[in-house]
Amino acid sequence: MRYLPSSPVEDRALLDTIGVPDAEALLVGIPEALRLGRDLDLPTSGSEQEVAWEMMGLANRNTRFCAQFLGAGAYDHFVPSAIDALISRQEWFTAYTPYQPEISQGTLQHIFEYQTLICDLTGLEVTNASLYDGGTACVEAALMAVRVAKKRNTVLVSRGLHPLYREVLKTNFAPHAGLNLVEVDLKDGVTDLADLQAKLNGDVAAVLVGYPNFLGNVEDLPALAASIHAAGALLVSVTQEAFAFGWFEAPGKAGADMACGEAMSLGNKPNFGGPFLGFLAVKDAHKREIPGRVVGQTKDLEGRTGYVLTLTAREQHIRRDKATSNICSNQGLVALRANIFMHLAGPEGMRGLAQQNAAKAQYLRQRLLELPDMEVVDEQPFFNEFVLRYKGDYAALQEACLKESLLPGLDLGRFYPEYAGCILWCATELHTRQMIESLVEILARVPASV
Amino acid sequence: MFLRQREPLSFERSVSGKRGMDLPRLDVPVAQDTRPAHLKRSGFDALPELSEVEVIRHFTRLSKWNYGVDDGMYPLGSCTMKHNPRLNEKVAGLPGFTDSHPMAPDAFVQGNLALLFTLQEWLKEITGLPGVTLQPSAGAAGELTGVMLIRAYHVSKGAKRRVILIPDSGHGTNPATAAMAGYEVVELPSRPDGTISFEDVTDPVNGKVRKGLQTLVSELGTEIAGAMITNPNTVGVFEYRFKEISDLLHSVDALVYMDGANMNALVGVARPGDFGVDVMHLNLHKTMSTPHGGGGPGAGPVCCVDKLMPFLPVPVVVRDTVKVGEGEVPKHSYRMEWDQPQSIGKVHTFYGNFGILVRALTYCLSHGSDGLKAATLRAIVNANYIRTRLKGAYALHIDSPSLHEVVFSDTLQAKHDVHTLDIAKRLIDHGYHPPTIYFPLIVPGALMIEPTESEGQDELDAFCDTMLAIAKEVEENPEALHQAPTLAPLRRLDETTAARKPVLRWVKS
Repeated sequence: MRYLPSSPVEDRALLDTIGVPDAEALLVGIPEALRLGRDLDLPTSGSEQEVAWEMMGLANRNTRFCAQFLGAGAYDHFVPSAIDALISRQEWFTAYTPYQPEISQGTLQHIFEYQTLICDLTGLEVTNASLYDGGTACVEAALMAVRVAKKRNTVLVSRGLHPLYREVLKTNFAPHAGLNLVEVDLKDGVTDLADLQAKLNGDVAAVLVGYPNFLGNVEDLPALAASIHAAGALLVSVTQEAFAFGWFEAPGKAGADMACGEAMSLGNKPNFGGPFLGFLAVKDAHKREIPGRVVGQTKDLEGRTGYVLTLTAREQHIRRDKATSNICSNQGLVALRANIFMHLAGPEGMRGLAQQNAAKAQYLRQRLLELPDMEVVDEQPFFNEFVLRYKGDYAALQEACLKESLLPGLDLGRFYPEYAGCILWCATELHTRQMIESLVEILARVPASV
Repeated sequence: MFLRQREPLSFERSVSGKRGMDLPRLDVPVAQDTRPAHLKRSGFDALPELSEVEVIRHFTRLSKWNYGVDDGMYPLGSCTMKHNPRLNEKVAGLPGFTDSHPMAPDAFVQGNLALLFTLQEWLKEITGLPGVTLQPSAGAAGELTGVMLIRAYHVSKGAKRRVILIPDSGHGTNPATAAMAGYEVVELPSRPDGTISFEDVTDPVNGKVRKGLQTLVSELGTEIAGAMITNPNTVGVFEYRFKEISDLLHSVDALVYMDGANMNALVGVARPGDFGVDVMHLNLHKTMSTPHGGGGPGAGPVCCVDKLMPFLPVPVVVRDTVKVGEGEVPKHSYRMEWDQPQSIGKVHTFYGNFGILVRALTYCLSHGSDGLKAATLRAIVNANYIRTRLKGAYALHIDSPSLHEVVFSDTLQAKHDVHTLDIAKRLIDHGYHPPTIYFPLIVPGALMIEPTESEGQDELDAFCDTMLAIAKEVEENPEALHQAPTLAPLRRLDETTAARKPVLRWVKS
């Protein structure tokens, strides 16, 4: 086996030093009755060539699309070549958590820079080294809000929040008998202010709102913040498409007390949904309640600047059952991809990419609306995703697209009965005018109805 | 190995007007600005302006202040820092995988679904447990999923149980997880050898009696939802009474959760499903060599017994066999099954850290049944080799037979006022990443060493020689160790000030 340094001579030398006849003798601590006593019923080892072919075969069983007009929480953007090249350095991808700071300054300084840039994008003051993904970031944000608010046990969630984020929230709130999760309705594709006001009361710790929301629409954060703050609750903005930070105002500057969500767009491919990059940014006043790893700047014995994991008194290895969360890792390498991406893009790149995404989505929407079967649903400012009602049959549309290697938008009725017959479309800088025209051409040929 | 010169924060290098990315030509009309004035993005305060080469040099230089598995032995106990095969990285980067969209219809991601299904089959056989979810993103996320399965099981039987038992030697994530899942934690005391004590334990110092497993089960009975047990435990010792422990817990219908952090000692040798475990997680970033990435992403699949399967997170990957003619090879198709009425729900937005699961299956196929067992045995041999070579120079606090890792104590060195932290920092000067230190808590000044199966004899000898040289230095020149490290890019860092006056981001001055 090529990964093991075994040879009969060396194995013998090791065993002789230990003083046992064979390796099995070292299993003496495992009672015989509890041992397997047979070989695993699995295929035997494979050469690199054989395994490579088998895995390539699996990759090839997936359909490759010329263009994907589907976002819904996983966005296809261009990834600069420098990212994969840098990530492939063993110093980055094989290293462990930076618990020994003198020997981990690379990872620590990177995280410090990453934290700085997430704060910049969100307009908030403190963030952590990252969380698993958008859905679990919502859970951590909601639980943190309950800790910060003290003695308030209800979290309101806008129905505009990604439906799968809401599912993850439900799963994690279920074990807590004392906590309530209540949905706030939508009106005209955004959070219904009247329903929100009716549900705000002295027990509400926080309100989670999509920004932009799952339908692609932007929520008027300052207006929501006014009501939410008047009720003494926190506004948590949830962004599933980090490119939107180049288009819409930073949530922290628009009234949000906390910002969380998904930042996979920064330097990652859709990757079948993971590994992704959850983030959570908060105000300085709340920093000791933030979950997860945090890196801080300090000095060494000779006064040189360095970085360490800090505020560890919040964490599980110190506090055990009183910790702010059980999390003891971050999405290190994905955060590094995002960090490199933000460094390459800079302020002009983030703004320029956002403008291109907005332009492509607007063009796609305009061209789709020229088709007789497409209709406007809600008229709201959007970024790179939008909803149109389709009078035809989604299955027929999907089939026609797939035949031409195009992946169409999402059938919204799957998650929102009230939007049955509507499609959520997405366009990014990757979509050329030609791809958009091909899509429109194909859709024009789909039979009007069944 | 290390770059000596300093690399400033990138923000301090930023020069207005530089850029590291050129945008494509816009081939559609410029976006109309439909944003309300108060929602238009204002400026950025920190995003740096650098050329591509400046960005590449910055992150290359920073990387040189890290220590990686390819630099040498990385003996972090409980972390299983084994070789990260390059094939696994290459495969995970195949566009057929990376371009695939999580919301694409099942028919168009058959490769992904076949991969997930196959990995599940491997994990089932390895653990001896018939139910699997690949959704949890990390070990801690797996723990939380597993404990939520336990909770769902009791709720389905109409029982409200409030307690989870956890040994005092357990990882901190165990009690933190139990609390997140709404449970009260009751600690199980260890025996002198680190295994769980059935009997009450009297503290030799303060005379306080801590209730053992037997007492706790008889007193708390059906209040106990389950127990979270690491096996082999954090001292590397197999819980040799595991079957009795699980039988006792099962007698009050409490379930047994196994923390699989140390599964690298058991693969191909013993299966948790065969010794009474009801539910467990695996750390694929440990056992299956998916890279640690400087802290993540990992993957923490959960395996469980039949009776917990209805509660597994949705969706579940299932295989349908397409009917074929006689004598033909059966064809399979795969789909996501979302209709699981008793499911605890979703624990990840999509299907977990898919890219990590790709690497894990590649690891499995490369090793095969024979390689998996050989890796386990070699990991155990390597740890015992280190144990044999170092046991005179460092104190073995616990003398029971250990498996894939060995835990020493600093009691011999403490006589010279040299402690575990000093030894760890001196190892850095010798070009090693230190072992895990001060864990588990039941060993004073713990030095937890896990060499993994990846190390050959010359590497093991070089490490042992270094440890012996340090032990000698402790006796001859203890003061020098308090100064360590002196050869790393930085000396010891002031963690107290970092926590008292946190500076958590760069701010333009």
